[in-house]
Amino acid sequence: MQWDYFLNQVISHRDALLQGTAITIGVSLSAIVAGTLLGIAIGVAVTYGIKPLRWPARVYIDIIRGTPVLVLVLATFYISSAVGLDLGAFQAGVLALTLFCASHVGEILRGALQALPRGQIEAGRAIGLTFAGIFRHILFPQALRYALPTWITAAVEMVKASTLLSVIGVAELLLTTQQIISNNFLNMQFYLLAGLIYFLIDFAIEQVGRYVGRRLDRPARRTT
Amino acid sequence: MTTIHKMLGAISVFALSSMSVADVHADTLQDVLARGELIVGTGSANPPWHFTQNGQTVGFDADIGHILAQGLFNDPSKVRFVNQSSDARIPNLLTNKVDISCQAMTVTAARAQQVAFTVPYYREGVGLLMLDGGDYADFAALKAAGSDITVAVLQNVYAEQMVHQALPEAKVDQYESQNLIYQALNSHRADAVATDLSTLKWYMKNNSGRYTDAGYAWNPQSYACAVSPDDARWLQFVNTTLEQAMNGVEFERYAAAFEQWFGERPPAPETGFPSEMR
Repeated sequence: MQWDYFLNQVISHRDALLQGTAITIGVSLSAIVAGTLLGIAIGVAVTYGIKPLRWPARVYIDIIRGTPVLVLVLATFYISSAVGLDLGAFQAGVLALTLFCASHVGEILRGALQALPRGQIEAGRAIGLTFAGIFRHILFPQALRYALPTWITAAVEMVKASTLLSVIGVAELLLTTQQIISNNFLNMQFYLLAGLIYFLIDFAIEQVGRYVGRRLDRPARRTT
Repeated sequence: MTTIHKMLGAISVFALSSMSVADVHADTLQDVLARGELIVGTGSANPPWHFTQNGQTVGFDADIGHILAQGLFNDPSKVRFVNQSSDARIPNLLTNKVDISCQAMTVTAARAQQVAFTVPYYREGVGLLMLDGGDYADFAALKAAGSDITVAVLQNVYAEQMVHQALPEAKVDQYESQNLIYQALNSHRADAVATDLSTLKWYMKNNSGRYTDAGYAWNPQSYACAVSPDDARWLQFVNTTLEQAMNGVEFERYAAAFEQWFGERPPAPETGFPSEMR
């Protein structure tokens, strides 16, 4: 193993590696945040929505969850152009991952909300809360505890799925790694380095998730 | 890979059918001149054709883009390279994401039904790269081994058929990117790599003493750029520019690029009878 040469190559390509890592994090975070917000709306619609909302939300979840991410990425990139919506590769990639993330978050939230006793909604109404108030103060905080572990898994999946954006030319970490390898031919070493960086990103997401989970499990502070 | 090809094929058909209705107007030459820069679709990890150095796209395909920009704007730098996978060469053209694809693209009749090829700018062949000091000494040894050997090759519709032209019984493993076929060889998953002769020479030059050429070349093929179909004026312009680069006033620019990436100088055009007519 040419370690000295490898380290020199890492140093000389550090800007490209940092940029690739930043794009991977940027794509993943954008998709996770936007997908989570959209997924919450879809999850609520599919659980409590009236029929004209519930059925489209259900169809959305079933179709998008059942579609391979690669197909979503290619379809978003090319079909958007064909219909006159000129999205760049980065934008199309974020949109595809957002749609995919939202379908998962919607289903995760539906499961969590349906696990809550129905009586809690009635109790909320009894004390004069609107549905928005019931959702915000009663249902969502509890559902969050149920949903958090699977949400973390979905978030980690988004990071992994971001590697598929290389097929439409987004120079995320994997494609950047391949570009570097094409200069120095250190295949194994740079793939291992990329694997380590992906692990660190996913590990960080898991740690944040665990921290949030611990905060949620803490008993509420008494105010009396 | 077959799945990706099928998906991209379906997308190409969809894009083509959409554009035949929506994009009747096609004057890429005028669009490019008005924009002030040429958008070239190419790859980023396949030296010496197209790869990234110091954040810039370089290689022979990139230099073809610079030659076209010189012809368009009298400024070779007025070109923007769009990074695309090899599967995206045709879909990106059909959806107008690029003005032209120059990406080590083999001219085939099947592809010519979807895109318009320019005149060829390189004549490629396929060779076999092996580990120096490996189990097989040369092409004869590989052939004698029959089905005991595995050949790694870049994913391609014709990849398996192409390998079997030289080694009819060999097992063929297809990989998504160029570096993965070399990784297969390095990790002894493959006994040989079937790759373009130009790439083979480049790889051996940059990895002195580690590899050997099996000593057999086959499957000659032409590399050309591709443009969207039904845009005759744009195709005519590109063809004229490329022909003049290979045979006329821009020869020095083409020859310098050729020499830089392939290590040899192309034959100079002669005066008198026009070489294009031979």
